[in-house]
Amino acid sequence: MVDSDRKEFRIRDFLYVVPLWLLSLIVPDADDLYSYRGKEFKRRELFYLGALLFVPLIWRDPHFHHLMVLAGIYAILALGLSLFLGYAGQISLGHAAFFGIGAYTTAILTTRYSFAPFLAFWISPFVAALAAYLIGRPILKLKGYFLAIATLGFGEIFQVIVRESTVLTGGVIGIFDIPFLSIGGFSFDTYLKQYYLTWGVLLGLFLYSKNLVRSKMGRAFLAVAASEEAASTIGIKVARTKLGVFVIGAAFAGFAGSLFSSIMSIANPEAFSLNLSILIVIMVILGGMGNLYGPIFVSVLLTWLIDILGKYQVWSLPIYGIILILLLIFFPDGIGTRLGTRLIYLISYWSKKKRRNEGKV
Amino acid sequence: MSLLRVEEITKEYDGLRALDHFSLNVEKGIIKGLIGPNGAGKSTLFHLISGIEKPDSGKIYFKDKEITALESHEISALGIGRTFQTVQTLSNMTVIENIMAGMHLRLKGNLLSSGLWLPWTARAEKGALKEAKEILDLLGLLGRWKSPASQLPLGKQKLLELGRALAMKPELILLDEPASGLTSAESDQLKERIQQFKRDGMTFCIVEHQMGMVMEIADQVAVLDNGRLIAEGPPNIVERDAQVMDAYLKRKRSDA
Repeated sequence: MVDSDRKEFRIRDFLYVVPLWLLSLIVPDADDLYSYRGKEFKRRELFYLGALLFVPLIWRDPHFHHLMVLAGIYAILALGLSLFLGYAGQISLGHAAFFGIGAYTTAILTTRYSFAPFLAFWISPFVAALAAYLIGRPILKLKGYFLAIATLGFGEIFQVIVRESTVLTGGVIGIFDIPFLSIGGFSFDTYLKQYYLTWGVLLGLFLYSKNLVRSKMGRAFLAVAASEEAASTIGIKVARTKLGVFVIGAAFAGFAGSLFSSIMSIANPEAFSLNLSILIVIMVILGGMGNLYGPIFVSVLLTWLIDILGKYQVWSLPIYGIILILLLIFFPDGIGTRLGTRLIYLISYWSKKKRRNEGKV
Repeated sequence: MSLLRVEEITKEYDGLRALDHFSLNVEKGIIKGLIGPNGAGKSTLFHLISGIEKPDSGKIYFKDKEITALESHEISALGIGRTFQTVQTLSNMTVIENIMAGMHLRLKGNLLSSGLWLPWTARAEKGALKEAKEILDLLGLLGRWKSPASQLPLGKQKLLELGRALAMKPELILLDEPASGLTSAESDQLKERIQQFKRDGMTFCIVEHQMGMVMEIADQVAVLDNGRLIAEGPPNIVERDAQVMDAYLKRKRSDA
């Protein structure tokens, strides 16, 4: 018996044992979502950080850098919405509007009023947050579908305002020649520099979010999502909590918008349409509710996917749609939540099946 | 001294009168049992006290302060904790986070200081974690502090809900059918805990559909039927009351 057990283990088993071990280093634990949201940084986080720092230095392809800049900006948006949608359980289909407000604030302040780009970068999130506060007060009383429709309406109203107020925003054409962000003479003018800028901002906001979700505020968000009744009977101010997380999400979008307009040097209404709002919602849902890593991972994944599919022209959208549907079928509760278990399951299933088939022959 | 005073409250749902000029007094430091058949208005009473619903008429006082029109979170801030008939653990959180969520009002922190993890927030969170573990230890749930609340069996979820209410350090706890769905061992454990917290000076108001548990641990029992108070007093006396037996037995007979 012992002998045959030994025979069972073959050299080729390393084929999946080694990848499994590597995966366990990289992919989040299946129960990370539910394990106590602690602060300890694990090896895995250090691995991510190292990869983020060094990969663009090794892979010196400007196109790759540019893609990662875009992915980083989307990731900031997704992170902000993740707090609102993934943690507090409220839907927003107008998140792109706050992104637009951030972008236009930077664009207008730097080109029309010649503010220093660095100053504009810090003003933008505050303007977006203020807008969210004013909008959120009346509409956050709504729930579910109604909230979705109200935020959708807000996004469309923003579009109309931007298109019509030609003097300030340049209408449909938009604003050009927005200066690069610069700090004391150091200008972020190459893709590589912009990469570190974007992902640096993302890292800062990520740490903020990570702290937030393991504090009393994060528990309040989750409690509101779980049961507003139960939340209010433990003293959580439901309306204020929702408003707070909405404002935080908008401020994140404001940062992203400011980065976007200063990196692309252009701000036009097309970039902040409903399509983007839906893309962000998809990123959060695919990334996993109540998960901070997932939305970032998915925003990188989708940015790449959209770029690769661009080659197939008319076919790109149908293929994109099919891939999204498949992802949702195989990861119904989000990639970030299930990737670890899924991959490990698939690999072990695949190796067992192979062995079973060999046994039959 | 009366801690909670309910005066002449009436509540109707689509013409159906759930509570009809109902009055109740709960003194400090006792266990008050509320019993009555299905639909007698017990849960409605709890919803009105905790501010989830508003009465059509009448007034509610807590510590001689009127709370009738206050929001639910304001009422809980004054010191009223509660559990629900259909258990409402915060299912998207772990067991320990459920307890820590109950400490919300007592912890320092806001969107800025929590996000930046400033020293005083960190200290408050650390203290909260320790305290939450003590509460879980008391309830015998410490072994599963990291598991998702939704994975606990129903009985444990009820205990967890009680723990969440206790974590608020309220003066009054409203327990809505705490023993339903519990095994007899679990319900014995629950009784023991409630009596222990009563000795620590907490006041309880317990709604039960069955008479068993309330009769054993309550100091005073009030009996509701059709939204009215039909009897009130120490359990052994209420048990002998003809009207009470009538309300219960008649229904039992007609059920059978």
